Amino acid sequence: MHEFFLSTSILLCFLVLLCLYRGTVGPGVLNRIAGISAIGTKTLVILLLMGFIYDRVEMFVDISMVYALLNFIGTLAVAKYLEIEGEV
Amino acid sequence: MWPEYTEQSDNFGGKNKMIRVTDDVIIKTIARVLTPFIQVYALYVIMHGHHSPGGGFQGGVILAASLILLLITHGWAETKKKFSETKTAVFCAVGVLIYTGIGVLCIFMGGNFLDYGKLGGLLMVIPPEARSLGILGVEIGVGITVMAVMFSIFFDTSTGGNSPEDETTSSLR
Amino acid sequence: MMLIKIIAVIFMLAGLFFFTTATIGLLRFPDFYSRLHATGKGDTLAVFLCFLGLSLYNGFNLTSLKILFIAVFMCLAQPTATHAISRAAFRCGLKPWMKEGENK
Repeated sequence: MHEFFLSTSILLCFLVLLCLYRGTVGPGVLNRIAGISAIGTKTLVILLLMGFIYDRVEMFVDISMVYALLNFIGTLAVAKYLEIEGEV
Repeated sequence: MWPEYTEQSDNFGGKNKMIRVTDDVIIKTIARVLTPFIQVYALYVIMHGHHSPGGGFQGGVILAASLILLLITHGWAETKKKFSETKTAVFCAVGVLIYTGIGVLCIFMGGNFLDYGKLGGLLMVIPPEARSLGILGVEIGVGITVMAVMFSIFFDTSTGGNSPEDETTSSLR
Repeated sequence: MMLIKIIAVIFMLAGLFFFTTATIGLLRFPDFYSRLHATGKGDTLAVFLCFLGLSLYNGFNLTSLKILFIAVFMCLAQPTATHAISRAAFRCGLKPWMKEGENK
Protein backbone atom coordinates (compact mmCIF):
# COMPACT_ATOMS: atom_id res chain seq x y z
CA MET A 1 0.00 0.00 0.00
CA HIS A 2 2.91 2.33 0.57
CA GLU A 3 3.72 2.41 -3.13
CA PHE A 4 0.27 3.77 -3.91
CA PHE A 5 0.59 6.57 -1.34
CA LEU A 6 4.09 7.39 -2.53
CA SER A 7 3.05 7.67 -6.19
CA THR A 8 0.04 9.83 -5.21
CA SER A 9 2.35 12.15 -3.29
CA ILE A 10 4.74 12.44 -6.22
CA LEU A 11 1.87 13.26 -8.58
CA LEU A 12 0.61 15.92 -6.20
CA CYS A 13 4.10 17.44 -5.97
CA PHE A 14 4.16 17.67 -9.75
CA LEU A 15 0.78 19.46 -9.64
CA VAL A 16 2.25 21.88 -7.10
CA LEU A 17 5.00 22.70 -9.59
CA LEU A 18 2.38 23.42 -12.24
CA CYS A 19 0.51 25.72 -9.88
CA LEU A 20 3.77 27.53 -9.17
CA TYR A 21 3.73 28.70 -12.78
CA ARG A 22 0.59 30.65 -12.09
CA GLY A 23 2.17 31.88 -8.89
CA THR A 24 5.12 33.45 -10.65
CA VAL A 25 3.77 34.52 -14.05
CA GLY A 26 0.23 35.54 -13.20
CA PRO A 27 -0.22 39.02 -14.49
CA GLY A 28 -0.92 40.94 -11.34
CA VAL A 29 -1.10 40.14 -7.66
CA LEU A 30 -4.53 38.49 -7.67
CA ASN A 31 -3.54 35.63 -9.95
CA ARG A 32 -0.59 34.91 -7.73
CA ILE A 33 -2.80 34.73 -4.66
CA ALA A 34 -5.06 32.21 -6.38
CA GLY A 35 -2.04 30.08 -7.27
CA ILE A 36 -0.63 30.13 -3.76
CA SER A 37 -3.99 29.23 -2.24
CA ALA A 38 -4.16 26.22 -4.55
CA ILE A 39 -0.65 25.20 -3.50
CA GLY A 40 -1.70 25.42 0.14
CA THR A 41 -4.66 23.12 -0.45
CA LYS A 42 -2.50 20.49 -2.09
CA THR A 43 0.06 20.72 0.70
CA LEU A 44 -2.58 19.57 3.18
CA VAL A 45 -3.12 16.30 1.35
CA ILE A 46 0.62 15.75 0.88
CA LEU A 47 1.18 16.17 4.63
CA LEU A 48 -1.45 13.60 5.53
CA LEU A 49 -0.13 11.14 2.95
CA MET A 50 3.34 11.46 4.45
CA GLY A 51 1.78 10.57 7.78
CA PHE A 52 0.47 7.36 6.26
CA ILE A 53 3.80 6.54 4.66
CA TYR A 54 5.72 6.90 7.91
CA ASP A 55 3.04 5.06 9.95
CA ARG A 56 2.59 8.01 12.35
CA VAL A 57 -0.85 9.23 11.42
CA GLU A 58 -1.78 10.86 14.73
CA MET A 59 1.11 13.30 14.57
CA PHE A 60 0.52 14.49 11.04
CA VAL A 61 -3.22 14.99 11.47
CA ASP A 62 -2.60 17.76 13.99
CA ILE A 63 -0.04 19.43 11.74
CA SER A 64 -2.33 19.48 8.70
CA MET A 65 -5.25 20.85 10.73
CA VAL A 66 -3.13 23.76 11.94
CA TYR A 67 -1.98 24.50 8.40
CA ALA A 68 -5.59 24.55 7.15
CA LEU A 69 -6.47 27.14 9.81
CA LEU A 70 -3.54 29.40 9.08
CA ASN A 71 -3.99 29.21 5.31
CA PHE A 72 -7.60 30.33 5.63
CA ILE A 73 -6.83 33.28 7.89
CA GLY A 74 -3.88 34.40 5.79
CA THR A 75 -5.90 34.43 2.59
CA LEU A 76 -8.64 36.48 4.25
CA ALA A 77 -6.12 39.04 5.52
CA VAL A 78 -4.43 39.44 2.14
CA ALA A 79 -7.78 39.82 0.38
CA LYS A 80 -8.84 42.56 2.79
CA TYR A 81 -5.55 44.38 2.32
CA LEU A 82 -5.93 44.33 -1.47
CA GLU A 83 -9.49 45.56 -1.25
CA ILE A 84 -8.30 48.62 0.64
CA GLU A 85 -5.02 49.53 -0.97
CA GLY A 86 -5.82 48.73 -4.58
CA GLU A 87 -4.01 46.33 -6.84
CA VAL A 88 -0.40 47.32 -6.36
CA MET B 1 -22.80 48.53 -17.42
CA TRP B 2 -20.54 47.29 -14.68
CA PRO B 3 -21.25 49.35 -11.56
CA GLU B 4 -18.44 51.66 -10.59
CA TYR B 5 -17.09 51.16 -7.14
CA THR B 6 -17.35 54.36 -5.16
CA GLU B 7 -15.50 54.98 -1.96
CA GLN B 8 -17.86 54.41 0.89
CA SER B 9 -17.65 56.31 4.10
CA ASP B 10 -15.49 54.37 6.48
CA ASN B 11 -15.39 54.50 10.21
CA PHE B 12 -12.02 56.02 10.88
CA GLY B 13 -11.63 58.91 8.49
CA GLY B 14 -8.93 57.57 6.19
CA LYS B 15 -6.61 55.74 8.57
CA ASN B 16 -6.68 52.34 10.23
CA LYS B 17 -8.51 50.75 7.39
CA MET B 18 -7.21 47.28 8.03
CA ILE B 19 -9.41 46.94 11.10
CA ARG B 20 -12.46 48.41 9.49
CA VAL B 21 -15.67 46.38 9.46
CA THR B 22 -16.17 44.11 6.48
CA ASP B 23 -19.52 44.90 4.90
CA ASP B 24 -20.01 41.36 3.73
CA VAL B 25 -22.47 39.00 5.33
CA ILE B 26 -20.78 35.75 4.31
CA ILE B 27 -17.37 36.49 5.76
CA LYS B 28 -18.75 37.89 8.98
CA THR B 29 -21.03 34.90 9.56
CA ILE B 30 -18.36 32.31 8.82
CA ALA B 31 -15.85 34.07 11.08
CA ARG B 32 -18.35 34.21 13.87
CA VAL B 33 -19.20 30.51 13.48
CA LEU B 34 -15.62 29.26 13.23
CA THR B 35 -13.93 31.25 16.01
CA PRO B 36 -15.05 29.10 18.99
CA PHE B 37 -13.89 25.91 17.27
CA ILE B 38 -10.51 27.43 16.51
CA GLN B 39 -10.11 28.40 20.16
CA VAL B 40 -11.08 24.95 21.43
CA TYR B 41 -8.55 23.43 19.03
CA ALA B 42 -5.88 25.81 20.35
CA LEU B 43 -6.59 24.66 23.91
CA TYR B 44 -6.29 21.05 22.72
CA VAL B 45 -2.89 21.83 21.19
CA ILE B 46 -1.69 23.42 24.46
CA MET B 47 -2.83 20.52 26.61
CA HIS B 48 -1.34 17.79 24.44
CA GLY B 49 2.12 19.31 24.23
CA HIS B 50 3.95 16.37 25.73
CA HIS B 51 2.15 13.82 23.60
CA SER B 52 1.89 15.21 20.05
CA PRO B 53 3.24 18.25 18.21
CA GLY B 54 2.16 21.31 20.10
CA GLY B 55 2.83 22.94 23.40
CA GLY B 56 2.61 26.45 24.69
CA PHE B 57 3.93 28.50 21.81
CA GLN B 58 1.98 26.85 19.06
CA GLY B 59 -1.28 26.96 21.00
CA GLY B 60 -0.75 30.62 21.79
CA VAL B 61 -0.26 31.43 18.13
CA ILE B 62 -3.49 29.69 17.15
CA LEU B 63 -5.38 31.56 19.88
CA ALA B 64 -3.96 34.83 18.56
CA ALA B 65 -4.99 33.83 15.04
CA SER B 66 -8.60 33.46 16.15
CA LEU B 67 -8.55 36.92 17.69
CA ILE B 68 -7.00 38.43 14.56
CA LEU B 69 -9.74 36.79 12.50
CA LEU B 70 -12.30 38.50 14.69
CA LEU B 71 -10.47 41.81 14.35
CA ILE B 72 -10.25 41.94 10.58
CA THR B 73 -13.82 40.90 9.97
CA HIS B 74 -15.77 42.68 12.66
CA GLY B 75 -13.71 45.81 13.22
CA TRP B 76 -12.26 47.37 16.28
CA ALA B 77 -15.53 48.39 17.94
CA GLU B 78 -16.83 44.85 18.26
CA THR B 79 -13.52 43.32 19.30
CA LYS B 80 -12.97 45.98 21.94
CA LYS B 81 -15.94 44.67 23.88
CA LYS B 82 -14.24 41.31 24.21
CA PHE B 83 -10.54 42.05 24.24
CA SER B 84 -9.63 45.67 24.91
CA GLU B 85 -6.14 47.10 25.13
CA THR B 86 -6.14 46.98 28.91
CA LYS B 87 -7.04 43.31 28.86
CA THR B 88 -4.21 42.62 26.42
CA ALA B 89 -1.65 44.16 28.75
CA VAL B 90 -3.09 42.31 31.74
CA PHE B 91 -2.91 38.98 29.90
CA CYS B 92 0.71 39.62 28.96
CA ALA B 93 1.61 39.97 32.61
CA VAL B 94 -0.58 37.14 33.92
CA GLY B 95 1.17 34.57 31.75
CA VAL B 96 4.60 35.53 32.99
CA LEU B 97 3.24 35.57 36.55
CA ILE B 98 2.05 31.97 36.23
CA TYR B 99 5.41 30.90 34.84
CA THR B 100 7.58 32.48 37.52
CA GLY B 101 5.00 31.76 40.21
CA ILE B 102 5.35 28.04 39.67
CA GLY B 103 9.13 28.38 39.67
CA VAL B 104 9.20 30.32 42.94
CA LEU B 105 6.71 27.89 44.48
CA CYS B 106 9.23 25.14 43.81
CA ILE B 107 11.84 27.17 45.70
CA PHE B 108 9.49 27.50 48.67
CA MET B 109 9.02 23.74 48.75
CA GLY B 110 12.75 23.26 49.12
CA GLY B 111 14.22 22.76 45.65
CA ASN B 112 15.81 24.75 42.85
CA PHE B 113 14.01 27.14 40.49
CA LEU B 114 11.54 25.16 38.34
CA ASP B 115 12.26 21.89 40.13
CA TYR B 116 8.80 20.41 39.73
CA GLY B 117 9.51 17.26 41.67
CA LYS B 118 9.24 19.07 44.97
CA LEU B 119 5.64 20.03 44.21
CA GLY B 120 4.63 16.49 45.05
CA GLY B 121 4.24 17.34 48.67
CA LEU B 122 1.84 20.16 47.93
CA LEU B 123 -0.40 18.28 45.51
CA MET B 124 -0.03 14.93 47.28
CA VAL B 125 1.15 12.99 44.24
CA ILE B 126 4.36 11.13 43.45
CA PRO B 127 7.22 13.22 41.98
CA PRO B 128 6.98 12.07 38.32
CA GLU B 129 3.33 13.05 38.19
CA ALA B 130 4.17 16.35 39.88
CA ARG B 131 6.69 17.03 37.11
CA SER B 132 4.06 16.40 34.45
CA LEU B 133 1.60 18.76 36.14
CA GLY B 134 4.27 21.41 36.58
CA ILE B 135 5.10 21.40 32.89
CA LEU B 136 1.41 21.68 32.06
CA GLY B 137 1.03 24.75 34.24
CA VAL B 138 4.06 26.40 32.68
CA GLU B 139 2.76 25.74 29.16
CA ILE B 140 -0.57 27.36 30.02
CA GLY B 141 1.25 30.48 31.19
CA VAL B 142 3.34 30.59 28.04
CA GLY B 143 0.27 30.20 25.85
CA ILE B 144 -1.56 33.10 27.46
CA THR B 145 1.41 35.44 27.06
CA VAL B 146 2.02 34.48 23.44
CA MET B 147 -1.63 35.10 22.58
CA ALA B 148 -1.65 38.58 24.09
CA VAL B 149 1.67 39.62 22.60
CA MET B 150 0.87 38.49 19.07
CA PHE B 151 -2.49 40.22 19.11
CA SER B 152 -0.80 43.37 20.35
CA ILE B 153 1.84 43.17 17.60
CA PHE B 154 -0.81 42.92 14.91
CA PHE B 155 -2.83 45.76 16.34
CA ASP B 156 0.15 48.08 16.77
CA THR B 157 1.57 47.54 13.33
CA SER B 158 -1.79 48.09 11.65
CA THR B 159 -2.71 51.27 13.48
CA GLY B 160 0.66 52.76 14.30
CA GLY B 161 0.05 52.81 17.99
CA ASN B 162 -2.90 55.19 17.96
CA SER B 163 -6.18 53.73 19.00
CA PRO B 164 -8.97 54.73 16.60
CA GLU B 165 -10.83 56.68 19.25
CA ASP B 166 -7.80 58.87 19.82
CA GLU B 167 -7.75 59.87 16.18
CA THR B 168 -11.28 61.16 15.96
CA THR B 169 -11.26 62.97 19.28
CA SER B 170 -7.70 64.27 19.40
CA SER B 171 -7.11 67.85 18.41
CA LEU B 172 -3.31 67.74 18.21
CA ARG B 173 -3.09 67.12 14.46
CA MET C 1 -11.82 -5.47 5.33
CA MET C 2 -10.56 -5.57 1.78
CA LEU C 3 -13.79 -4.00 0.51
CA ILE C 4 -13.38 -0.92 2.68
CA LYS C 5 -9.80 -0.48 1.52
CA ILE C 6 -10.83 -0.78 -2.12
CA ILE C 7 -13.54 1.86 -1.63
CA ALA C 8 -10.96 4.14 0.02
CA VAL C 9 -8.61 3.77 -2.93
CA ILE C 10 -11.45 4.60 -5.33
CA PHE C 11 -12.23 7.78 -3.38
CA MET C 12 -8.59 8.79 -3.46
CA LEU C 13 -8.33 8.23 -7.20
CA ALA C 14 -11.42 10.38 -7.74
CA GLY C 15 -9.89 13.10 -5.60
CA LEU C 16 -6.68 12.94 -7.59
CA PHE C 17 -8.64 13.25 -10.83
CA PHE C 18 -10.35 16.41 -9.59
CA PHE C 19 -7.03 17.87 -8.47
CA THR C 20 -5.61 17.34 -11.95
CA THR C 21 -8.54 18.95 -13.73
CA ALA C 22 -8.53 21.90 -11.34
CA THR C 23 -4.84 22.54 -11.96
CA ILE C 24 -5.27 22.29 -15.74
CA GLY C 25 -8.11 24.78 -15.45
CA LEU C 26 -5.94 27.12 -13.39
CA LEU C 27 -3.35 27.14 -16.15
CA ARG C 28 -5.51 27.31 -19.24
CA PHE C 29 -8.48 29.54 -18.52
CA PRO C 30 -8.36 32.99 -20.10
CA ASP C 31 -9.49 35.15 -17.23
CA PHE C 32 -8.96 35.56 -13.51
CA TYR C 33 -12.57 34.91 -12.51
CA SER C 34 -12.78 31.65 -14.42
CA ARG C 35 -9.50 30.49 -12.89
CA LEU C 36 -10.96 31.22 -9.50
CA HIS C 37 -13.97 29.06 -10.39
CA ALA C 38 -11.67 26.18 -11.25
CA THR C 39 -9.51 26.31 -8.17
CA GLY C 40 -12.27 27.18 -5.74
CA LYS C 41 -14.68 24.43 -6.63
CA GLY C 42 -12.39 21.71 -7.95
CA ASP C 43 -9.84 21.90 -5.16
CA THR C 44 -12.45 21.86 -2.41
CA LEU C 45 -14.20 18.79 -3.76
CA ALA C 46 -10.90 17.03 -4.35
CA VAL C 47 -9.71 17.66 -0.81
CA PHE C 48 -13.00 16.44 0.60
CA LEU C 49 -12.88 13.21 -1.39
CA CYS C 50 -9.23 12.56 -0.54
CA PHE C 51 -9.79 13.03 3.16
CA LEU C 52 -12.89 10.85 3.08
CA GLY C 53 -10.90 8.09 1.45
CA LEU C 54 -8.05 8.36 3.92
CA SER C 55 -10.45 8.34 6.84
CA LEU C 56 -12.06 5.15 5.57
CA TYR C 57 -8.64 3.57 5.08
CA ASN C 58 -7.69 4.15 8.69
CA GLY C 59 -10.56 2.16 10.14
CA PHE C 60 -12.92 3.05 12.95
CA ASN C 61 -10.64 5.22 15.03
CA LEU C 62 -10.41 8.57 16.80
CA THR C 63 -7.89 9.66 14.20
CA SER C 64 -10.41 9.03 11.42
CA LEU C 65 -12.86 11.34 13.17
CA LYS C 66 -10.19 14.06 13.30
CA ILE C 67 -9.55 13.66 9.57
CA LEU C 68 -13.28 14.08 8.93
CA PHE C 69 -13.20 17.27 11.01
CA ILE C 70 -10.49 18.69 8.80
CA ALA C 71 -12.56 17.82 5.72
CA VAL C 72 -15.66 19.60 7.06
CA PHE C 73 -13.57 22.63 7.99
CA MET C 74 -12.10 22.82 4.49
CA CYS C 75 -15.61 22.63 3.00
CA LEU C 76 -16.56 25.65 5.08
CA ALA C 77 -13.43 27.73 4.82
CA GLN C 78 -12.16 27.36 1.25
CA PRO C 79 -15.28 28.80 -0.47
CA THR C 80 -15.20 31.74 1.93
CA ALA C 81 -11.60 32.51 1.05
CA THR C 82 -12.42 32.27 -2.67
CA HIS C 83 -15.34 34.63 -2.18
CA ALA C 84 -13.09 37.10 -0.36
CA ILE C 85 -10.51 37.11 -3.16
CA SER C 86 -13.10 37.58 -5.90
CA ARG C 87 -14.69 40.42 -3.98
CA ALA C 88 -11.31 42.09 -3.64
CA ALA C 89 -10.79 41.73 -7.38
CA PHE C 90 -14.15 43.31 -8.09
CA ARG C 91 -13.40 46.21 -5.76
CA CYS C 92 -10.10 46.75 -7.56
CA GLY C 93 -11.98 47.22 -10.79
CA LEU C 94 -10.93 44.06 -12.62
CA LYS C 95 -13.24 43.57 -15.56
CA PRO C 96 -14.15 40.05 -16.71
CA TRP C 97 -13.07 38.76 -20.10
CA MET C 98 -15.55 39.20 -22.91
CA LYS C 99 -15.59 37.69 -26.34
CA GLU C 100 -14.92 39.99 -29.24
CA GLY C 101 -17.97 41.54 -30.77
CA GLU C 102 -20.13 41.79 -27.68
CA ASN C 103 -20.73 45.22 -26.26
CA LYS C 104 -22.58 44.27 -23.17
